[in-house]
Amino acid sequence: MGKFIIRRLVHAILVVIVATFLIYLGLFILGDPFSSSGEKTIPPDIQDALRAKFGMDKPLIVQYLTYLQNMFTGDFGIDFEQRRDVSTMIGTALPNTIRLAFAAIVIELVIGLLAGIIAAVSQYTFRDVFVTVITTLAIGLPVFVIGIGLRSLLSGEGIFPQVPRSFTVEVPWWQEIILPAFTLAIVDAAFVARLMRGSMLEVLRADYIRTARAKGLSERRVIGRHAFRNSIIPVVTYTGVSLGALLGGALITERIFEYQGVGYLLVRAISQHNNPVIVPLVVFAVLVFIVMSTLVDILYAYLDPRIRLH
Amino acid sequence: MTTPPQSGQEPDTHVPAEALMTTFEAPEPDAEVAGNGGKEGYRRKPGQFKEIWRRFKKNKLAFVGLIVVAILMVIAIINPFITPYDPTEQNLANTNAAPDGAHWFGTDDLGRDLFSGILYGVKLALIVGWSVMLLSMLVGVALGAISGYRGSWVDSIIMRSTDVVLAFPYLIGAILIVQVFGNGIITVIVALVVLSWPTAARLMRGSTLSLREAEYVEAARSIGASDSRIVVRHILPNAIAPTLIFSFSHIGVAIVAMASLSFLGIGVPADIPEWGNLIADAVPYLKIDGKSHLWVFPSAAIVITTLAFAFVADGLRDSLDPKLR
Repeated sequence: MGKFIIRRLVHAILVVIVATFLIYLGLFILGDPFSSSGEKTIPPDIQDALRAKFGMDKPLIVQYLTYLQNMFTGDFGIDFEQRRDVSTMIGTALPNTIRLAFAAIVIELVIGLLAGIIAAVSQYTFRDVFVTVITTLAIGLPVFVIGIGLRSLLSGEGIFPQVPRSFTVEVPWWQEIILPAFTLAIVDAAFVARLMRGSMLEVLRADYIRTARAKGLSERRVIGRHAFRNSIIPVVTYTGVSLGALLGGALITERIFEYQGVGYLLVRAISQHNNPVIVPLVVFAVLVFIVMSTLVDILYAYLDPRIRLH
Repeated sequence: MTTPPQSGQEPDTHVPAEALMTTFEAPEPDAEVAGNGGKEGYRRKPGQFKEIWRRFKKNKLAFVGLIVVAILMVIAIINPFITPYDPTEQNLANTNAAPDGAHWFGTDDLGRDLFSGILYGVKLALIVGWSVMLLSMLVGVALGAISGYRGSWVDSIIMRSTDVVLAFPYLIGAILIVQVFGNGIITVIVALVVLSWPTAARLMRGSTLSLREAEYVEAARSIGASDSRIVVRHILPNAIAPTLIFSFSHIGVAIVAMASLSFLGIGVPADIPEWGNLIADAVPYLKIDGKSHLWVFPSAAIVITTLAFAFVADGLRDSLDPKLR
């Protein structure tokens, strides 16, 4: 197990290095911020002075290392638009995104697991068919269609706050989070339900389930204890990876509900070509995604020892 | 190593090798197996397609999906002849009009006919969906097969590059590529191919690995078939099913991804009536009564298209490889 973990970690670090380098290279191709463009003309000597000031005259590898150092020490500089401190911007947006991600995951697990278990236990009955039909349809729904639909039908009604928000109205975070969390949870819940149904059906055919039943355990205990624990492994993997993606910012959902998380921050930064904000957010998203995938792999190997052999 | 074009010229180069195969292998106990891998492969094909089609037809949902996909294809092809208006023609005197006889789906915030816009969107969606599918499959199959068959450092390089690409969340990766190379349909296609070939390549590599040591491949090798011939003629037809299924089910994902990018303002240029653009244009009018046609019709178009492709992909999975169920 120890060997497996080390191998996986080394692998993750290598991927981080290459991915961050690619992002930096991409930034380079994005254009030289000091070149003359359109109406903005900058004399060549001033361009050189600016490049020297910001260290952009150094070799690429030195620049990359500086950027890496800044990324990992949280020194992101100031943004192009309003000269705000990028670390502060991300610092205020991040808690919102983390809250949203966990809220979505909780909703998705509750709905998905319940639906999956109910479908598997009552295979080929009306309930099973109902769950199958609903999940098939839900998986085909793009997130932004769900989001736009929910916003247009529910925002501003009852406890759901108005979008776009008015600055004069204070809205508690849990009210603000409900619609975006459900938007994110719906498709994933359908996936979880499908996964759970499939793996549960497989587990229910296993010998040890027959043994559990044979020794007289109640059906509730057979399902809740023996079958549940063994069939949840694929769900753990899926949820871990989707949590990794959500923590990097749910761009579309946050944009639709104008939810002040890192996803919305990134969307706005992109439309303003605000590179100092884009780069750390993308690096962050990739980093979180890699960390979560690595954790999931290790967890998977722990839960299912057969995987370590590969 | 023989070059791929040679193995592509089927009838001519094919016959002598085939003759060799039967004469050499005939006395061997494994003759049946070896014969099946090489010779029967071609004769069996029509029957195989029939068998796949028979299984596919049984799946009602997939069949309905196929009909919808066919209709969408027809719409995409005869597009300019059936759009009642020019999809980009603006009429600022008649913006956000509700659906009526003249404009079946109403008009958008620039007074463009929404029905024509959505039909135009069908064309865009299908072009992007099919291109992403074909290109990512082409790249994925080629690299995956090489990776799985060759092994060693080639395998390492290809697999490590898939690791790096898969380290990017799908949408973030696509945004990054489109940001770097500028928005437009071609860039969107390239971005989506870059992000989806690794999965195809991994699937292909997996099935190539499991076939590399198969007896019939060994038999082909023992009679002196070249590596490229073994890969293209013997391994590919038997190994391609999972990759094909993935690529096909990816069409819907690609269509949604393009709409998502456009919705965020970074995909297809905003003046093109693409579904994501149309929905983004509708956002300011979401809570205004009588304007719901602005988002309902484009959303319905996306949902119908992705569901149709998803159903066909499901049916394809079940009929191509019943074991994968």
